[in-house]
Amino acid sequence: MSAPAKVRVWGWVAILFFLHFLLHVGLSYGRPAPDLLTLGLLLAAREIGAGRASALGLFFGLLEDALSVLAFGANSVAMTLVAVGGATTRDLFVGDSRVFLIAYLFVGKWVRDLVHWIAVGEGLRQPFVEQVVVQGALHGLYVAAIGIVIAGLAGLGGES
Amino acid sequence: MAPLGSESEANGRHRNLIGAFVVLLLALASAHLPEASQQRISGVLQASVLRPFIFTQERLEEASVGAAQADSLMAIVDSLSAVLSTHSALLNENRTLRDLLALAERAGPGYVPATVLRPGTSGSESVFLVDIGERDGVRQGSPVVNPRGLVGVIREVRSRSAVGMDWTHPDFRVSAMLADGSAYGLVENRPGRFREDDRLILNGVAYNQEIELGSMVVTSGFEGGVYPRGIPIGRIDELRDEQGSWRRSYWLIPMVEPGAATHVVVLTGRAGGDALDAWAGDTIGADTIEGGEPPR
Repeated sequence: MSAPAKVRVWGWVAILFFLHFLLHVGLSYGRPAPDLLTLGLLLAAREIGAGRASALGLFFGLLEDALSVLAFGANSVAMTLVAVGGATTRDLFVGDSRVFLIAYLFVGKWVRDLVHWIAVGEGLRQPFVEQVVVQGALHGLYVAAIGIVIAGLAGLGGES
Repeated sequence: MAPLGSESEANGRHRNLIGAFVVLLLALASAHLPEASQQRISGVLQASVLRPFIFTQERLEEASVGAAQADSLMAIVDSLSAVLSTHSALLNENRTLRDLLALAERAGPGYVPATVLRPGTSGSESVFLVDIGERDGVRQGSPVVNPRGLVGVIREVRSRSAVGMDWTHPDFRVSAMLADGSAYGLVENRPGRFREDDRLILNGVAYNQEIELGSMVVTSGFEGGVYPRGIPIGRIDELRDEQGSWRRSYWLIPMVEPGAATHVVVLTGRAGGDALDAWAGDTIGADTIEGGEPPR
């Protein structure tokens, strides 16, 4: 990816970071607001190595954990794993086709919800089918849809 | 011998993987840190990176209350018809604030009014922030109530704010009794298939104890000083279960819908041991849950 394209991606990651906390914390939209932090992390993870991606994931996760103190660490673990996984896909899948991007964002978000469900502990988790299978899939589609819009705006995912 | 380029590439990849592994260990360790360290990290992040967003939420909440009060005053000044046409949500909010004020006055100086803020992030569905903290007398375990009854309890306290959990949290439990003191038990949360289906249950009622449907359930004050006696929790809805022939449990209709609680009072260390009188006028005689139908 060219240098201007990288700058554009990082610009979008910063915007998604800001919008995520503005919607979830500042404006208290809660669940109807999309998980833009995971979307930003997944986009960033394609640009950097696993080491730096995991550090970014840990930072994002700690920010989420700071607001969900009763399951501290669950978001950190989930975001770090997703970041490492996202960075690893660079070695496995070359190119940024739109179909790949949709699948990548959907699976990334779903895995994030799955790991969070596991890490949050038995006492706090909702039933697996409802939270991971149903809601996780819906959240994955939601993030993938938003991701495609962002990719269109940022000029990503056009290659095949 | 491998070409120099591919060797340095392999080294870079190796370093990356080691770095990722170390960070992953840190992430796993964060989940097992002592609670005090976790609170310190949360506090630092809330006071730094997250501060602008929390500040935005606080200002919007204040603006919302301010706008509601201004609209209310304007309506009174303009005409009676303007008052009658005021939006029902505004009337509800005014009523809530008035009830809260009356409750705080009846209950005494140990009850400190606060505004509730919801983080709205993943895993924080049963958690809320209040805009008062240690300097206002709030301490860990302080009950959070509103004019209808028990909302939840404070879990973490900082200088100017505190974090609480409401009754929909799976860890929530409170020792309870009927308002007339005729039966005792333990009220717990029973998570539904979805968060909106969460319900309260009164456990451990003696089998031979007949309980009339609709009876008011209040805190019993047996929590070692956490909850004073007499805070309304809910009304008996129906028999849930019989354990052999020695115990019964009942579903409750909660007095408070946590999502609708925007203004509350927090009982500080100066609160008295019996709170039944503070609610007698508001809740003990009331029939329905705040905000409409009870969750099923």
